[in-house]
Parts: sequence; C-alpha cells; structure tokens
Amino acid sequence: MNILEVEQLTVNYEKTSVLWDINFVVPEKTIVGILGPNGAGKSTLLKALLGLVKPISGHISFFGKPLSEVRQKVGYVPQRSSVDWDFPITAFDLVLMGRYGKMGLLKWASKEDKEATRQALSQVEMLQFADRQIGQLSGGQQQRLFIARALVQDADVYLLDEPFAGIDMATEKTLVDLFDTLRKKGKTIVIVHHNLASTETYFDWLILLNTCLIATGPVGDVFTQQNIWRTYGRSSILLDEAAIKAKNKTSGLL
Amino acid sequence: MTFLDFFTDPILRPSTVGCMLMCFASALVGVVVFLRKRSLIGETLSHASFPGVVIGVFLSALLIPFSDELIALAILCGAFLFAFLGLKALNFLENRLRVKADSALCFVLASFFGLGILIASRLQQSYPLWYKQALTFLYGQAATMTNMHVIIYGCFGLVILGFILYFYRYLEAVNFDPSFSETLGIRSKRLDEMMFFLIVLAIVVGIRSVGVVLMAGMLIGPAVAARPLTNQLPYHFALSGLFGVVSGFLGNYLSVVIPKGEYSLPTGPMILMVSSSFCFLSLLLAPRSGLVNRYVRMRRFSFQCAVENALKSLWKEERRSFSPLIRWQLKRKKWIDQSRHLTPLGKAAAENIIRLHRLWEVYLVDYMGQKVEKVHRTAEELEHLMSPELERELTELLHNPRHDPHHQPIPPAHVEST
Repeated sequence: MNILEVEQLTVNYEKTSVLWDINFVVPEKTIVGILGPNGAGKSTLLKALLGLVKPISGHISFFGKPLSEVRQKVGYVPQRSSVDWDFPITAFDLVLMGRYGKMGLLKWASKEDKEATRQALSQVEMLQFADRQIGQLSGGQQQRLFIARALVQDADVYLLDEPFAGIDMATEKTLVDLFDTLRKKGKTIVIVHHNLASTETYFDWLILLNTCLIATGPVGDVFTQQNIWRTYGRSSILLDEAAIKAKNKTSGLL
Repeated sequence: MTFLDFFTDPILRPSTVGCMLMCFASALVGVVVFLRKRSLIGETLSHASFPGVVIGVFLSALLIPFSDELIALAILCGAFLFAFLGLKALNFLENRLRVKADSALCFVLASFFGLGILIASRLQQSYPLWYKQALTFLYGQAATMTNMHVIIYGCFGLVILGFILYFYRYLEAVNFDPSFSETLGIRSKRLDEMMFFLIVLAIVVGIRSVGVVLMAGMLIGPAVAARPLTNQLPYHFALSGLFGVVSGFLGNYLSVVIPKGEYSLPTGPMILMVSSSFCFLSLLLAPRSGLVNRYVRMRRFSFQCAVENALKSLWKEERRSFSPLIRWQLKRKKWIDQSRHLTPLGKAAAENIIRLHRLWEVYLVDYMGQKVEKVHRTAEELEHLMSPELERELTELLHNPRHDPHHQPIPPAHVEST
C-alpha cells in the first residue's frame, strides 16, 4: 500500500525553490531519501506535502486521504536552524509540544502526555538533559530533541528535513538505529538528505530531485551513476571524482 | 512617608495602584513581543495611537465636557482605533509595497505621530485647556488618576492576564516554531493578530501613566530584565510581571520622595528609569550570563591556570619563587610545605597536569594530524580544562600511551583520579 501519493505537484512561490510537475509514490514501511543539490526544492517539497507552502497545482494524499483528515498521523521534523534556540524553554517542554495537537491547547499536560514525553526523551538518549535549557545543548542533542518531539506525536509517517546536518557521529548512529526500529514497527520515514556517501546504507527508496523529478524507486534501481549525474549535473560529479582521485593519489593507490 | 501611605492615602493610592496594574499588564505583553522579536512594533503602535488620543479629547470636549470617566473611555477608543490604523498601514507597506520592516515601522511612527501633533496644535488655538489635556498623553500623567481610572485599567489588566493564561500554550508553541505548530493543526497566523490585540490593550492602558513616547520601554523593559534570570517561559512571564509591578510602585514612590516638596518629578519617566535600572542590573548581575559573574569566572580560571603552571614549574624544578597570592593558594591546597617544597599531594597533582598535557599532545599528533613541534602550545591550554570523564575517554582512545610525541614519559594515572 502507498502511504503517500503525489500527482502533478507544481510549486512556484516567491521565497521558495521551484518544483515542476512532480509525481511519485511512497510505499509503506520504508525509509525514503529525498536527494538533490542545493536549491533543488527538497525542503520546499516537504513543506508542500505538509501544507506549509501552497502549491499552484497538484494532488497530495496521505493514506489515500487529504492531509487535513490525517494530520495527526503525519509527523514533521523541521531543519534545526529554523528556530531560535535561545527561546526560554527546557528540553522537556520542547518535546511536550509534540503532544499539543492531541491534547489541545487549553488543557494541562496529563500524566500520559508527560510519560510519553519522558519515553521519547529516553528513546533518543536525552532523558538526563530533560531540565536543561535548549540553548545549552549541542547541535546533535538539539536534533535529538526535534526527533523526540515528532516521536511523541505517535505518527505513522515522519517527514524529516536534513536531520543529519551538523550533528556528531554518535547522534547520527543513534538516529539511524532509531529509524530502523521505527520502520520495523511499521512506520514510514521520509528524509531530506544531501550526503551521497551514506545513501545506499540509509535508504530503501529514493526520490532524486532537481526542480523536476529525476528518478524515483527502490534504491538499487535508482541510485545509478547516470541518475546522479542527471540530478547533480556535471559540475558536482567532476568535483566528486576529483576528490576521490586526489584521495587515492595521496594514499598511493593510483 | 512610608510605603503603606501609598496604598492608603486617597491622593496617592489611585496613581500608585493604577501604575502598578498598568505596568503589570504591559510587562506580560512585553514577554510575548520580546520573544517574537518585534519589540519596535510597540513603539510604532503607541506613537500611532496619538492622533486617536487627540481626537478623543477633542470630540469628548465638544460633546461630553463634564464627565471625566467618559472622556477617558473616548480617549481609549480613539487610541485603539488609530493603533489599529497604524497596524493596517504597517501591513500594507510591508506586504503590498514591499517596504522593509524597519523602514515601514519608522515611517508609520513618524507620520502618525506628526499627524497627532498637527491636530493638537490646531486644538491649541480654540481649546487651550483640552490641548493641555491631550499633551499629558505624550509623557503620561499618573498623578491625576482617579479611582474610576484604576477600575477601568484594572479591568483591562485582568483581560490581558486572562488572555495570556488562556492562550499560554498557543503563544509558547507558535512563538517557538510556527511551521511545526502548523503541522499539528495549530493556526500560527493568528499569533500576530493576538499579539496586536495584546499590544493595543497594553498601550491604551499604559499611555495614561507613561505616555505614548515612553510606552514601548514599559512593554519591553521588564521582559528584557527577566530573561537572563530564567530559562523557563512561565518564570519569564512571572518575573517580568513582578518587575513591572515593582517598577510601577517604585516609580510613584521615588517621584514623590525624591523632590521633598520643592519641585515635582513626573511619574511616567521615573517608572521607566526604575525599569531600565532593573534591566541594567539584571544584565550585569545575572547568575549565569551576567557580566560581573562572567568576569569573576574568567579571572578565577586564569588564576587557576597560573597556579597550575607554578606547580608544574616546581615539579620540573625550573622555578621556586612565585607571587604571594599564588604561594598562598599552593599552600592552601597543601601542594607545598613551609620550606616551599612539593608535598606528595602536590607531586601527584603536578604529575596529573603533566599527564594531561602529554596526552593531549599525543591526541593532537595522532588524531588531528598536527605537527609535533606545534602541539605544545595548544596542549598548554587544554591541560587546564579537564574533567575526569574526558581524561578517561582520552586515555582509552589513545590506549594509555607511555610517551608523548616529544619522547617524554607520560606519568601514569593516579589512583585518586581514576
């Protein structure tokens, strides 16, 4: 079954990158990577899926329904740099915000809400930092909080914008393991990503994007030299090749 | 005159209580505006309300010249209307004409305020008494408040308090992360409308006591003063409110007490001075980020470095004489004895520092690929900022080496540090 279906999506809004006639599906229980160069419209695509950016045309459905009917089943992790980390709240408060959709804005947090928050914090190994102000945490720890905030929502599909940007190795490992566990529980995870090196190990399904859809499908079929060339253009391929060559030269392999 | 007189004296009480209520309300609103990073919007809207105040005075002077309370209400309505027009003008400039936010704020502030002054001057010729009344709203006039004013402002203050309590979660979530809130189904676009509503309420309450010119300071001052003292939003609101109330009271108190009857000091500016002093003191003395504490911590660390370096040079037998302060500290830590020789405790401490220094050198050369002759200087700094956990990790990572890159032996870890 397809978790997400996108037909003829076009976005051309002043402040965002352009997206042109995008069609793809995302099957359930997969980890999906959205890849493309800077300015390709990766974040814009996520925002359009979530209704944060209004498309000019196109049809988007989650679980065969429009987003407004299944909002609570779709979790979002924005880019870490999109918020002000000086904001006076603790790690616990931040994660608790993931429950606001369910609990309503006018109620006190119930025992259940608090328990779910603590559980999500321990899932990302952040329970010991629950009372810290969010600005005192490292980049990796902040990213873990963002993930935990999506986890307490208990959604079925998660959309993450560059979760691996500017974090430490230990956090990256924790997150990759966590995504794997989530998939085993039947969740679907869509990740905007930019590092080609880890693509094959992290993802089952790919969406290659550069304003238009370049290719989509299982990672084995899609992640070919030719597709990457078409996505990233000749210039970046050249640079990558040069970098590999330089490395081999200096280590005496060539 | 005692503190209590300000709450019992029939002349002092209305102004004191009125100012405290007003400062409380605007301090709460200030937190929302401050976190939204739109501090200047208060400044602009309070100036924009001035023509409304003047027109309110003018119309009520013509139609209902004998009722003070009704005039007060007419002024509030006028202020509200023009603040609203100011906001519309602001949105129009920013969204339709694509003027940058700061220019739009300046433009609206100046043009509306200028309009107010023009209307007021016209008033001056025919109604000099009402002209004076309108001018009191420039810098505020707390002293002439009556009990009825206090009741009106008290009600407005309660509305603001209730509103913030009721929408607390909304304000928190949308102020922090509007896109995420939107995906939860929380309509983030309402925030600016709510903020406007709160600001205008605070302004119409506040201009009577501090005036349109100083109003923005009253909005932001307590919020800025409270921020370094807490990292939690509920406390930020509470502290800001407290600073507001105290500024309101002290402003009244000082403006009465300082002059000793010879001349009079205006209450509004005095309130502002008190709240600015809170800001200043808070930025200076806050426990974590305050300037004084940071300076003390800096000095303490450099002293610690000096003492540890002295200890090292004793261990290496390079130097024996140190400044009295360092000697005193070495003795206090029982690192040297009366004859200025290292005690066993001092020897252990010195070896630990040497060990850290050399471990860092190994790390810098082996893991960071730095040149052997360049690492000494970096290690010299790093050796002073070591926690036992970091040392353990470093030792494990490097497989507890015996020699540093300069082929000097690395002293083994001491029992007490492991």
